[in-house]
Amino acid sequence: MGLINDKAFDVLRSIPYLLEGVGITLEITVIALVLGTIAGLFLALCRVYGGSFLHNFAVVYSRIIRSLPLLVIVFMLYFLGSEIINIPAFWAAVLALAMHTSAYQIEIFRGAIQSINKGQMEAALALGMSKYQSIFAVILPQSLRRAIPYWANEATIVLKDSAMAYVLGITELMRRSEYVSARTAQPMLTYIVSGLIYLIMTYAFTKSMAKVESKVRIPGLER
Amino acid sequence: MKGEFLMTEPILRINNLHKKFKDTEVLKGVTLTVNEGEVVVIIGPSGTGKSTLLRCINRLTEPDAGEIYLGEHKIESAKSNLTKVRQRIGMVFQDFNLFNHLTALQNVAIGPIKVKKMNKKDALELAMRELERVGMADKAQNYPAELSGGQKQRVAIARALAMDPEIMLFDEPTSALDPELIGEVLEVMKKLADAGMTMVVVSHEMGFAREAADRIVFLEDGVIAEMGSPEKIFNNPEKERTREFISKIARLHGSDSEMPGTGS
Repeated sequence: MGLINDKAFDVLRSIPYLLEGVGITLEITVIALVLGTIAGLFLALCRVYGGSFLHNFAVVYSRIIRSLPLLVIVFMLYFLGSEIINIPAFWAAVLALAMHTSAYQIEIFRGAIQSINKGQMEAALALGMSKYQSIFAVILPQSLRRAIPYWANEATIVLKDSAMAYVLGITELMRRSEYVSARTAQPMLTYIVSGLIYLIMTYAFTKSMAKVESKVRIPGLER
Repeated sequence: MKGEFLMTEPILRINNLHKKFKDTEVLKGVTLTVNEGEVVVIIGPSGTGKSTLLRCINRLTEPDAGEIYLGEHKIESAKSNLTKVRQRIGMVFQDFNLFNHLTALQNVAIGPIKVKKMNKKDALELAMRELERVGMADKAQNYPAELSGGQKQRVAIARALAMDPEIMLFDEPTSALDPELIGEVLEVMKKLADAGMTMVVVSHEMGFAREAADRIVFLEDGVIAEMGSPEKIFNNPEKERTREFISKIARLHGSDSEMPGTGS
């Protein structure tokens, strides 16, 4: 019967335990995404519309963070934290992921903002809108729509990267998979199961973002 | 003739305007006064600064030197008053620049809502009236991408009108249109001119210029080479260059249609 022996059954019985880890995985992902998106969008606006200081800050921040392996950022925050303010492992992981994704999201939102024809801004200014009003009433509603597929892709990367939190001993899906694999001595089956769980999550997310995208699509517009 | 009923109060005064892009001096000292209710059509070869002149008026382009007054108000880029001045100047672009994410109605209403802080209901009613004025009421709920070029431009005119401007600037409003769509836009512009709107129009639409313009300005090489009534400019220009240019336009596309590709 190959796979379906007692130990394999052990793995299957551990699924509820793994699913509890999914909760933590999702918590890490969602919080990191929210923070990363806010920071990424803000810095993208700084990069495109800011004065030279804000512009340069966004450029340098993005370049440095994107040059570092996520794992390095995780450890940096964790040990920097333990030496100065003692960040709990959970928050070290969340902040590291948030920083990491924010740097990529700067580029996503920057591209989306710059892809809007400059005539849109001119028309808004010509009506008498302030630059601030023009950005929020005219540019962002259009560029955010364009950013959706790229942002959704980045979000699934964050979900998958959240597995990195396991190095800090956080009992999210990856960590629990390791426990189950050790206990049952069925690493392949265990990781196939957790792999499937990741797959289901990313698939469901991608599908629902595609729904959002088509829901907010501007009638008649190509993209 | 419309000109006989002109009020003579100057509403726009441009004094010795200069603008350079990198090494190219586009405007080399343009001085022009536009009176209230007057329709001025600016013609001239490609690249002579027609569009730049218009864009300097509401500071979408920053001039290098010279002054511009709207009424008594000097237009400057001190940001505090720039949005105020721009509210009083309507602008219509060659590429329409309708806000793609808004319906025709919302496009017209957004100015009054955001800039004049009008409440939404009043703004939408006003927008509907402006759309009726340009014959676009039945497309109020359509998005720009669902409209033809001519329809887009009419909505763009309504959008500018909704701000109740003192003067309207038209930057080659029909140059991006298919020939069969030009008429509907010119018709709206003519109606506007007849209603007494002060207009500065960059266009090579000779038919429109003949019928609606009080004055034609021939801009060439960054300066006003000649200006005068349509009759004078079309039939009896002082300068040989003006005559050449007029006949070239007429030859290229007859006297009543737009010459494609004359954008500057």
